[in-house]
Amino acid sequence: MNVSRRWLRAVAPGLDLDAGEIAARLAMRGAPVEGITDLAAEIGGVVIGRVERVRRHPNADRLSVCEVDGGNGTVQVVCGAPNVRAGACYPFVPVGAVLPGNVRIKRVRIRGQESRGMLCSARELGLGTDHRGILELTGQFEPGSAFAPAVHLDDHRLDVEVSPNRGDLLSHVGVARELVGEGGLRPADLPGAVEHELTVRTGSAVVDAEGVRVRIDDPRQCWRYMAAVVRGVRVGPSPEWLASRLRAAGAQPINNVVDATNYVLLELGQPLHAFDLAKVEGPEIVVRGARPGETLRTLDGERRELDEGMLLICDPGEALAIAGVMGGGDSEIGEGTTDVLLECALFNPKGVREVRRALGMSTDASYRFERGVDPAGLERAIRRTVSIIVATAGGEPAPTLLDACPRPWRAPVVALRPERVGRLLGVEFEAGDIAELLEPLGYRCRPAGGAIEVTVPGHRSYDTLREVDLIEEVARVYGYDRFPDSLGAFRPGTVPDDPLLRLHDRLRTTLVGRGFLEAHTTAFAPAGEGEVEVLNPVSAEESHLRGSVLFGLLHAVEHNFARGARDIRLFDMGAVFRADGSGGLPRETNRLAVAVTGRRRPRHWSAGDLSWDEWELRGLVEELLAVVLPEDGSVEPGTFDPAFFEGGCEFLLRAADGSVVGGAGRVRADRVDAPVWAGPVWGLELELGDGAGERPDPAFRPLPAFPAVERDLALLIPDSLPARQVLGFIEERGGRDLVEVSVFDLFRGGDVPGGCRSVGFRLRFQSGRRTLTDAAVDRSVRRLVQRLKEEFGVEPRAGAAGSGR
Amino acid sequence: MSEAGSLTDELRALEREARDAIDGTSDPAALERVRVAFLGRREGRVSRILRQLGGLSPEARPVVGAEANRLKRVLGSALEERERHLARKRPDTGTPAPDLTLPGRNRWMGARHPVTRVVDEICDIFARLGFTRARGPEAETEWYNFVALNTPLDHPAADEQDTLYLKGGGLLRSHTSPVQIRILEEHRPPVRILAPGPAYRRDTWDATHAPAFFQIEGLAVDEGINFVDFKATLSEFARRFWGPGTRVRFRPGYFPFTEPSAEVDVKRRVVRADGSVEETAWLEIMGAGMVDPAVLENVGIDPERYSGWAFGMGPARIAMIKYGITDIRTLYENDIRFLSQFA
Repeated sequence: MNVSRRWLRAVAPGLDLDAGEIAARLAMRGAPVEGITDLAAEIGGVVIGRVERVRRHPNADRLSVCEVDGGNGTVQVVCGAPNVRAGACYPFVPVGAVLPGNVRIKRVRIRGQESRGMLCSARELGLGTDHRGILELTGQFEPGSAFAPAVHLDDHRLDVEVSPNRGDLLSHVGVARELVGEGGLRPADLPGAVEHELTVRTGSAVVDAEGVRVRIDDPRQCWRYMAAVVRGVRVGPSPEWLASRLRAAGAQPINNVVDATNYVLLELGQPLHAFDLAKVEGPEIVVRGARPGETLRTLDGERRELDEGMLLICDPGEALAIAGVMGGGDSEIGEGTTDVLLECALFNPKGVREVRRALGMSTDASYRFERGVDPAGLERAIRRTVSIIVATAGGEPAPTLLDACPRPWRAPVVALRPERVGRLLGVEFEAGDIAELLEPLGYRCRPAGGAIEVTVPGHRSYDTLREVDLIEEVARVYGYDRFPDSLGAFRPGTVPDDPLLRLHDRLRTTLVGRGFLEAHTTAFAPAGEGEVEVLNPVSAEESHLRGSVLFGLLHAVEHNFARGARDIRLFDMGAVFRADGSGGLPRETNRLAVAVTGRRRPRHWSAGDLSWDEWELRGLVEELLAVVLPEDGSVEPGTFDPAFFEGGCEFLLRAADGSVVGGAGRVRADRVDAPVWAGPVWGLELELGDGAGERPDPAFRPLPAFPAVERDLALLIPDSLPARQVLGFIEERGGRDLVEVSVFDLFRGGDVPGGCRSVGFRLRFQSGRRTLTDAAVDRSVRRLVQRLKEEFGVEPRAGAAGSGR
Repeated sequence: MSEAGSLTDELRALEREARDAIDGTSDPAALERVRVAFLGRREGRVSRILRQLGGLSPEARPVVGAEANRLKRVLGSALEERERHLARKRPDTGTPAPDLTLPGRNRWMGARHPVTRVVDEICDIFARLGFTRARGPEAETEWYNFVALNTPLDHPAADEQDTLYLKGGGLLRSHTSPVQIRILEEHRPPVRILAPGPAYRRDTWDATHAPAFFQIEGLAVDEGINFVDFKATLSEFARRFWGPGTRVRFRPGYFPFTEPSAEVDVKRRVVRADGSVEETAWLEIMGAGMVDPAVLENVGIDPERYSGWAFGMGPARIAMIKYGITDIRTLYENDIRFLSQFA
């Protein structure tokens, strides 16, 4: 809402604050000011110029050469505007002065004619969007006098941010009320205007008066429709006082009749519409829903197709306007208009909202109707508009106002308990204090038993209908900053810290400790990377919800490759989405993904580089599984997602119950746009569940009292036999005293036969009851070798069996 | 140039030269030759400069004198250090001692994302005020995202959040507030929770907007919670997070699910490099308010008995303020040169 400070002063004469002070006060009332424009600052050099003579430019059809009196005698100015005429006054920028945007005006020659200065349009002065012609001023002006004060633009415009519940602040009177209270409000001075003696004829759905009929067919959407008739007007430009108030509030003057309705909209917040009475068949106004296939050409020149039931203002024949949104082009006020029918109505906010959303438009009127127009303010608004029209366009008002009111408004009454105010706000308020806070805003307070009966004024009747709404009003007017902020006692909550977020913490600690950087990717993905589609996406890249977290990380790897990075270690945790959910929602699960490429450690002068490989990856996977799973999981070769990982270099991750919880492997080359120098990219994706089931506390085992004995055993294992099987067999059948087996060596070639590899196992024996003798351990190893031979047919490598350490 | 200035420069050049000579020696005899050349009583180059002091002006004398004495001192200790070094041998091999000035063997440094750092810091502060963390789904229904939060879909308030809808039903939550409903459905007061997580809106990417962004929801519901508790807890948080001199301001605001509603601003005290203290402009850090009774009724909690407050904060915006980041897109590019700055 654009607010002019001068206009505020006009409706609240006691408001002795500058624009900055007003902004500070409004902010603490819940209506922050986003910007303050000093309207005069940028046009300080602009003066009044009177055009004395105009002639055609000798060398250009569209240009004219004017003699302009800018205060210091006349100067020659070349002007391109079609509307320039001798005898009229315009804003004039002499040579050496500056236009908005810091443009300094110089002496120039245009097609051979000297030009010393510039006559300006409204847009060039930052006063509006009109640039069809220069801004012709109506009234008496002294050439050479400063332009801004002459047209009352020594003013500030405040851009007030109004929240959706505060429709009452969408007017100058509403903002002023917030600042000075009802007692400080006065009707703004309207030069030349008088109050007319008008009587109101009220009916329910139909009213006849002044040869006009108003009929409401849809009382659910149209709650009240007032109309006035003014005959014999002369449509023309508005006087300067009216035009300048509109400009200061950011509105564009159009003609004296339309300007009067816009003026009242900006001053009181009531949208009005003026019809050319001659264009209204009957004349009769019918307020009804649109018929199937009905269309209307609106004021902006567009032909709009209307949905059935959209509320329209019509005559008996056709539609004239879309109720509460925009008027129609055919009944528009024009130069030939002599009789005016004024509409001042109250429409259902929800209906206006539906219609304007369906039509994809928003106007000053619809914006206010959606947020609630004061149901008690219609008569005042229509009377004021009539006064302004008669003062500026002449004519004679018909003595009767029509008032069709199928839904008379009654002020809501809300019970407010001072005890409840104190309980919710933590500060005690007496009934008298509460009345003192609320009444300046228009509420009426009456004690009723222990409570207060609060009568809500029309302008707040959409928002403050419950006790708690009034409690907010008490706090707001009292001032949030006046409440103490000393911390009291509290009871800790009963909700346990979320297990998944705790798991996130542990995973972050693990991965950050291993040198990984946490990335943040979004849940969006393009088609093909997720099953769930967004109905109204921002872009094609964000048209689906991701089916994997790794997808986004690979994107990040590409980003870093493109910037020359070779060593990249990223992880992220987040939700992935599948279409097979329940309750109308996608199935959402939480995952960890890791993407890594390049060296394992930063280069050191003492050794060559080692890059990430499947064994680094497998080690990382095992470590992460131990963090994520409550019981030991397993890692095995297998296919998790062929779309991501290279066949033959992929691990499948399983929980203790055998269910697949993720995969890891070498990322397929066609998944990453990598430069030639880049190393392979390794990735993993791990389902986190809901994080429930942390590992149980460790149970202490007494430390062994007897020494351990180790033996190395090298076995010739054919390539067709997975090492894991042999290892598992040794663990299982190695005897009671075998406490640990590890693989310490792998060797091919030399004396090892083809199709085989020599795998070195280190066996660790230890007993809890006695010191093991070499002989006993050797016996155990010989038995194991025998069993391996029987089970797999494998032999120890010659000369290596049972070598002790 | 002044005479003091040129002599001090000469001394500095001498220092570099001497240090290079010391580091270049490989046996005690060579080291002794270096000592004599620079610090020798008669012909040493530093001693020679010290002897010129008498000829200097009274202003220059103390300046050059102090510098020459400092040089004598540091070269003396460098010589001693090198002497000890040359005397030492590897005990096992007898080969010369390693050059310990070489860089060590490092590991890669990992880092949490800057937004995570902020989220963790906020959650830690609230944990000390009795809050635990909670979570809810990101794909939500209109009931949880709007209706249960007292936001009718036919009200202009629903426009403020341009929501992304999903084919097949549901929407992407436009704020973390649905977690309020989910938690209150499952748990009875006292509830004190913080719900960090992503939220989504139909915004196109620019320097200050992203279609996906992080939010932290806060919620406290219990008997006897009032506006003073609300102000006190959030002010306490703000001072712990932004520093003890921080000023906190509560302005009336509007959210359909809080009543009274507030916008919370902070003004930080920043200590400049020169030690002077400056206050920043007011920064909006969260929207908040007392839980609307309609919200409590929607989850079957009696608003006459229980009351509460809630807030929503944007940790990305806070991270940007805290670390001086100017474009929100930086947070989602995942450039490792950016991420590793938070190690």
